[in-house]
Amino acid sequence: MRRWLDRVWRRIQSLTRARQVDRALRREIETHLQIQIDENVAAGMSPREARAAALREFGSAAIIEEQCRDTRRVSFVENVIRDLRYTLRSLARQPLLVIAATTSIAVAVAANATIFNLANQLLLSGPTARRVDRLVYIRMGNGSHVSYNRWKALNESGALAGVAGYQIEIEVNWRGPDRSASLMPLAVTANFFDVVGVPLAMGRGFAAAEAAAEKHPTVVVISHRFWQTRLAGDPEILGKVLVFNGQPYTVLGVLAPGLRAVPGYGIAPEVYLPVSTELIPDLMHPNGAAVQLIGRLHDGQSLGDGRAALASVAQRPLSGENGRSYAAVDRFVRADGVDHASDFPGIGSFLAVLMVAVGLILAIACANVAGLLLARGTVRRREIAVRVALGASRSRLLQQLLTEGLWLATIGTIAGVVLSLVLVDTLSRIALPLPIPFELHATLDARLMLYAVVLLAVTAILCALVPALQATRPSLVPALKQEEPRYAYRRWTLRSVLVIGQVAVALVLLVTASLFLRNLSRAGQVDTGFDTAHTVVAQVSFVEGHYTRETRADFLESVVGRLRALPGIVAATYSTGVPLAMRSGMTTGADLRIAEGGEPFHAMYQVNLVGPEYFTTMGIRLIRGREFALTDRPGARGVAIINESFARRFFDNADPVGRHLLLPGPGKPYPAEIVGVVADGKYRTVGEDQQLAIYEPFLQRGNRGRFVHVLVRTTDRPDAVAHDVQRVLSEMDSSAAVDVQPMQAALAFAFMPSRLGAGLLGTLGALGLALAMAGLYALVSYAVSRRTGEIGIRMALGASQGAVLRMVLVDAALMAAIGVAIGLGTARLVTRPLSMFLVSGLSASDPIALVGTAGLFALVSLAAAWMPARRAMKIDPVSALRAE
Amino acid sequence: MSRPSDLIQGTLDLLILKTVALEPKHGWAIAKRIQQMSKDVLLITQGSLYPALHRLEQQGWLKAQAGVTETGREAKFYALTAAGRKQLARELESWERLSTAIGLVVREAE
Repeated sequence: MRRWLDRVWRRIQSLTRARQVDRALRREIETHLQIQIDENVAAGMSPREARAAALREFGSAAIIEEQCRDTRRVSFVENVIRDLRYTLRSLARQPLLVIAATTSIAVAVAANATIFNLANQLLLSGPTARRVDRLVYIRMGNGSHVSYNRWKALNESGALAGVAGYQIEIEVNWRGPDRSASLMPLAVTANFFDVVGVPLAMGRGFAAAEAAAEKHPTVVVISHRFWQTRLAGDPEILGKVLVFNGQPYTVLGVLAPGLRAVPGYGIAPEVYLPVSTELIPDLMHPNGAAVQLIGRLHDGQSLGDGRAALASVAQRPLSGENGRSYAAVDRFVRADGVDHASDFPGIGSFLAVLMVAVGLILAIACANVAGLLLARGTVRRREIAVRVALGASRSRLLQQLLTEGLWLATIGTIAGVVLSLVLVDTLSRIALPLPIPFELHATLDARLMLYAVVLLAVTAILCALVPALQATRPSLVPALKQEEPRYAYRRWTLRSVLVIGQVAVALVLLVTASLFLRNLSRAGQVDTGFDTAHTVVAQVSFVEGHYTRETRADFLESVVGRLRALPGIVAATYSTGVPLAMRSGMTTGADLRIAEGGEPFHAMYQVNLVGPEYFTTMGIRLIRGREFALTDRPGARGVAIINESFARRFFDNADPVGRHLLLPGPGKPYPAEIVGVVADGKYRTVGEDQQLAIYEPFLQRGNRGRFVHVLVRTTDRPDAVAHDVQRVLSEMDSSAAVDVQPMQAALAFAFMPSRLGAGLLGTLGALGLALAMAGLYALVSYAVSRRTGEIGIRMALGASQGAVLRMVLVDAALMAAIGVAIGLGTARLVTRPLSMFLVSGLSASDPIALVGTAGLFALVSLAAAWMPARRAMKIDPVSALRAE
Repeated sequence: MSRPSDLIQGTLDLLILKTVALEPKHGWAIAKRIQQMSKDVLLITQGSLYPALHRLEQQGWLKAQAGVTETGREAKFYALTAAGRKQLARELESWERLSTAIGLVVREAE
C-alpha cells in the first residue's frame, strides 16, 4: 500500500515537475554522451570523430525522451493540458463560431438549470434547519394531522429527541399601518424552534416554556421578507407589538433571509405564531386535526429505530379519543430526502414534462454546435490529414477535437448557469395569484452545481463526438491532395440528418406549447355560466369570534344595503363561495332522497351558501322559480335551489320546483323545498366536466366560518367601483381583512395552471424553434458556400436565377418537411399524457394546433433558407468560375 | 549482437537490477558493465536503457543520486532500494525457473 502510494506520489511529482524531470533527463543523456566521447578519445579517436561516433551509437535523443515520458504514464494528462491550450488558441481565431456555439449552449443550459432549480427548490430540498439530516416528517394514524394532545404525548414520550407540530391552513388578520391584511401564518407548537432549529437573522425563536398553548401565548417570529416588505425593515422591531386578529403579539425574532420553510414546496409563511385556542378554536379537541408533525431523531438513532420507538409509544389511546388508532406510523422520512416529492403528483409530473422539454432544447442546441463543428471539420480536413500523416493516432486526434467541444461546453454552461440565476431571481419577484405565499431563491447549491457539471459533460460529448469521429475518418490521400468532391454535392450528409432531427424535436415542443396556448384561449372563452365582466368580488375575513351568526347576518345585510345605494351599483349580495375563485365552495358527496318518493341516490355536488339577489348579481340565469329571499331564515322552512344538470339528472322531465330534497344536515337529514332552478356553470376549475350544484340560503344555513364574499354588480367599470366597496367595508368593520378585486382578477387563480403552463412551454417551444432554425440557416448557408462553383457552372450553362433559388429552397424545404413529418408523428404520442391538464373538449391531437404548428414551421423554414438562397442567386458565374 | 527486442521480455530489468546490486552506477557504466560481463554478446542500446531505468525508478526499485564518475564528470547514479532488492530476488528466481525449463525442453529435443 505504501509503495503504491509512493508510486502515485512520484507520478504526481513528475506531472507537476514535468519540465524539471525533462531537464534532468536531458542532462543525463548529455553526460552519457560525454562519457562515451571521453572513452572514444581514450581509444584514440579525434574529438570530432569521437562525438560523431557517440551520437551515432546513441540514436535519437528525442525518441528516448518521449519513451521515458511515456513510462511516467502521465502523457494523457499532459496531452489534455496541451490540447486545452491548443484548442483555446485555435478557437480564439474563430470568434464567430465560439459566439454562435456558446450562445446556443448557454440558452439551452439556462433553460435546463432554471427548471432544475425550480424542481430542486419545490420538491427535492429539505427545510433550512440545524442538522436537517436528523429531521423526519411524520404522519400517523391515517391522516396528515394529529390532535394537540397526541402531539404533546408523542413529544413528551421521549421516543425521539423532539417532536414539533405545525399548521399551515389557518389565516389571521394583521392590522397593518394603513389597512388590514389576511396572512397565512405558520402556526407552530411551542417547541418548534427548539426542535427544528431555524436560523434567525436577529432576536430569537420562542422557547417551549413561554409559548405553550395553555398559556395563551402572544409572541411572534416574523420572516425576513415580512420584515422587509411590510415593516420596511424596521431595525427596532424586536420587542414591538403586532396586532393579529385584534390581539397584540410581541415580536421575538426575525428569521434569516432566503430560508426554506418546514412545509416545503416553496411555501414561505410570513409569520410564525404559537398555536393557541385563539388561532385554532378547536385546538384542544381530543379528535381534532390540529398539527402536522416533524421530529428530530436522537443522536445515533437510526430511521428504523425512531419509527419503531414512535409506533410503540403511540399504541395506547389517549382519553377522549374516539377510536382513531395511531399505532401505525404511515410516514417517517428524512426531511432532506426526495421522498416527500411524491406528495404532490400534479406538480411533480408537470415539472417532469418541463424537464423533458428542456432536455430536448439542450439536444437541439447541441445539434447546432455539432453542425458548426462538422462544417469546421470539413474545412480542416487538410490539417487533420497532415497530422494523421505525421503519425498522430486517431484516438489522439479525437481527444483533441473533444477538447474543443469541452471548451465550448464550459463557456456555454457557465454563461447558462449565470443566466439562469438571473432568471430565477427575476421570477422570484413576480407575484403569482396563489393563496399561499411562495418564495424562490436564486442560489447556486451543491445539487445545482452537480447538475451543471453533468450538463457540461453531456453537452461536450453531444457537441463534439459526432463531428470528431467524422473529421478523423481516415481518408488520407484525397484530403492531403485537397481533392474535394467539388461538383458532386452530397445532399444527405450527417448535418442534414441533425437538422431534420432538430426540426422534429422543435416541432414536438411547439405542438405541446400550442396545445397549452389553445387551451388558454379556450379557457378565456369558456362559458363560466356567470358574468365576469360586470362584477366585483370582495373577499372578507372576519376576526374569529367577532360576530355571532345573527350579528354577522345583520352586518352583511347592512353592508349590502349601503352598497346598493351607491351610484353605478345595480345589485349586491354575499356568499361563502365564488365559483372558480380560491374559495369556490364545497364539494360534497352524499346519499340524497326526494321526499315525494323514489329510491335514495348517491350524488357528488357543489354546495354554495348564497344570499338574496345572488343570481341577479352574478348574472346566473334563473330558469324556474325564485331566488332566495330575506325570509329564508332560520326557523322558516328549508329551501334550496338546484342547477339545470341536477334537475335533469334526478327529476327527469318533471318540474322540480315545489318538491323536497332530503339534504344531509347536522345529525339527521332535513327536507328542503326546491324553490328554483338555475343555469349550469363552472364551479371549481375551467377544465371540469359539468358538475351538479345545490345552493342553500346563506341566512338559513350559514355556518360559523370567518370567510365571506361580498359581491357587487355594476353598470360601471368594475375597477372603478372596487374602491367604493373597499371603503364601505372597512368603514363598517375595520378589523376585517378585505380584498376587493374585479371578478376577472379574482379568477386568475383558476386560470393560472394553464397560463403558467402555456407561458413556460410557449417560451421553450419558441426557443426550440429559434435554435432549430439557426441550425437550418447555418446548414443552407454552408451548402451554398460549398456549391458556389457548381452554381456558377449551372448559371454559365444557362440556369436562371429563379432556378438556382428553387434548387436551394427545395433542398431546405425537403429537410424541413421530413423533420415536420417525423415531429408530427412523435407529437401525437407525446402530448397524450398532457391531456389531463387540458380543458375538456380539447383533445391532445387538436388539429388546429398540429396543422398550425406545421404551417408555422414551413413559413419559418422558408425564411431561414431564404437569405442563403438569395445569396446563391446573386452568384456571379464569371467570378465563381475564376475562383477555381 | 543482441538487440533489446531479442532479449526475453523482462530480462533487461533483471540485468539492470543485478548490475547495480553491488554498487551504485550511472547509465553509461551500467550498459558497459552488461556488455563486458556478457563478453560483448548483450549490447544495450541507450534507446532501451534509459526508458528502462526511468521505469524502474518510477516503480521504486531504483533510487537516483548525484555522483562523480572516475573521469570526474557529474552523473546520475542509480542504486538498488530495499524494494528493488526484493524484486531482484524475485526476478532471479523466475529466471532460474524459466532457464531450467527451457534447458529441459531444448535438451529433450536433441
